[in-house]
Amino acid sequence: MTQRKRATPSSQRQHGVSALQEDEDDIPFTQPSTSQVQKALENVTPAQLDHKASEVVQYFLVKQQKKIPVRRADLVKHVVKEYRNIFPEIMKSASKTLDQVFGLKLVEIDNKNHLYILISKLENVDGPHTSVSSPKVGLLFVILSVIFMKGGVVRENVIWNTLKKLRVDPGEKHAEFGDVKRLVTDEFVRQRYLECVRIPHTEPVEHEFHWGQRAELEVSKVKLLEFLGQLHDQDPQLWSQQFKEAHSSVNPPSS
Amino acid sequence: MERDSSGGGDSSRKEQREGQQCNGNSDGSAFAPSDLQSNDDDPGLRRKIRSKYRDLINSMQQNREDLLNPSNNRLTEVLEEANNLFKDVRQTREAALDAQLLVVASDLGKEKASQMLADGTAFDTAMFTERLLSFMGINRLEDDDDDDDEQKGGANKGYLPADAWHRLASRAECCFRTAPSFHFMRGSFHAEPPPPKQKVVRQSRAPTKETTRAMPTQMKKMVESHQEATEKEVERILGCLRGYHQQDPLTPISYYEFVIDPTSFSRTVENIFHTSFLIRDGWAKMFLDDDKLPCIAPVEDDEDKGQGSSSCKQCIVSISPKMWKDLIDALDIKNPLIRAPDTQTE
Repeated sequence: MTQRKRATPSSQRQHGVSALQEDEDDIPFTQPSTSQVQKALENVTPAQLDHKASEVVQYFLVKQQKKIPVRRADLVKHVVKEYRNIFPEIMKSASKTLDQVFGLKLVEIDNKNHLYILISKLENVDGPHTSVSSPKVGLLFVILSVIFMKGGVVRENVIWNTLKKLRVDPGEKHAEFGDVKRLVTDEFVRQRYLECVRIPHTEPVEHEFHWGQRAELEVSKVKLLEFLGQLHDQDPQLWSQQFKEAHSSVNPPSS
Repeated sequence: MERDSSGGGDSSRKEQREGQQCNGNSDGSAFAPSDLQSNDDDPGLRRKIRSKYRDLINSMQQNREDLLNPSNNRLTEVLEEANNLFKDVRQTREAALDAQLLVVASDLGKEKASQMLADGTAFDTAMFTERLLSFMGINRLEDDDDDDDEQKGGANKGYLPADAWHRLASRAECCFRTAPSFHFMRGSFHAEPPPPKQKVVRQSRAPTKETTRAMPTQMKKMVESHQEATEKEVERILGCLRGYHQQDPLTPISYYEFVIDPTSFSRTVENIFHTSFLIRDGWAKMFLDDDKLPCIAPVEDDEDKGQGSSSCKQCIVSISPKMWKDLIDALDIKNPLIRAPDTQTE
């Protein structure tokens, strides 16, 4: 199906064509050049630009409920539509709104396939949380901790064994999480918290887990290490390698 | 036979077969007796080499765990064996197998290296899970049969409270800079498109037919009642007009004095509306008196009632609350000439 859709205007098929996926009905979207954008801006009133930017913001906010990255192709098809010529301007405006109004950062996590996610820019306030947190966060924390502490890559057996010790068995239905295997290998992967890679030359097929792009951006390794230190009654500095890594890759959530 | 898990091996083997045929043709001496003696083309030796390579690859895959064990050097020994085999390799087909072996070996090497890294940092998952369970509030049971539990192992003691994972999530959340999800405060309709509506439409077709049948009869009644109300009102006003006219046939009745109700603007508008029917149907006539003020008078029985359409003129009367007040002041209207319908019944 994707093959057929790629056969549309060859002139568009140059640089920057996003990898087409299932439901792309119209011509693939290529990022317009700055001169094209400038020219197109002349035909658009600021009010129209703002309106489109607001729609983009709303789209992102709603999509955030499932935390699955937003595809640029979807954004263009469903929201931007005929204003695609000023797409970069719209994105700039939307990004600014998300930043200043909501304190959220819009990040492109995949430059090739053009996927976007939202991250909070604000530091978490310690103390009682007003909203009830989903228990999935706890599960995710365990998995991410194991991967991080084991050097960034872990075979899937290690994860399953760890979870079993916590009374979470991927083979059985869990009271809280349901189908655990699906949650870990499908949902967390699609949300880009985890990355699941097949280990080559294994028979039967085995996978290994890495941190996903969202985890890299969202999770503070320093805080993770702090909590682990508290759990183990241990100074986090004793895990020298991880400590070094956590403090070197600290990205200040700047604008 | 042997089954390499890497797909590349199969295609490379195919290529090797084709390559071998080409080689045979170009050399022109694939089966010449003289060549059986040179190492370059000895098919028997080559078969042996290939078989040894395949054995080596297989053993690497089967003894994976052993090779990965950091306590031995098995992996290096395997590589040395491969090196030895390689000394006799002359043709591409065997070289390809050698390359395949190297691929498997390097994967194992990578994994072995990463294992070493992991061991160095000394993170023990067993300890981690124990601490986690404590944090989540595990209830270590006070047991009667201590022996059984000891056999099972410490990990199976106790049970987790219902909010165990919530507890962990609350504490772990602060490590995440997740963007909060947006939800409508009062909820929203279901975000996914509704199931196909076709069935619903078909089901409701039958009832709508009946309702449309019922509709006209209902509507007729309503329209009639409206019409009746208007007609009655118009007739009543005609009666008023005739009454006033009879009292004083010679003095023209000022139109505005007639329609204006000083107590209610809306009644005034209604009066104008109803009066217009009288004029339209020819029951009353409007004319200007000597002062150029509009007057109204009923049409006598012997006069033409609206048949002289050429002499009929149309005009639009409009009135605003301000005008209404001005007229009341100017004409000094104190009482409405047309009584409100409610008062008639009293």
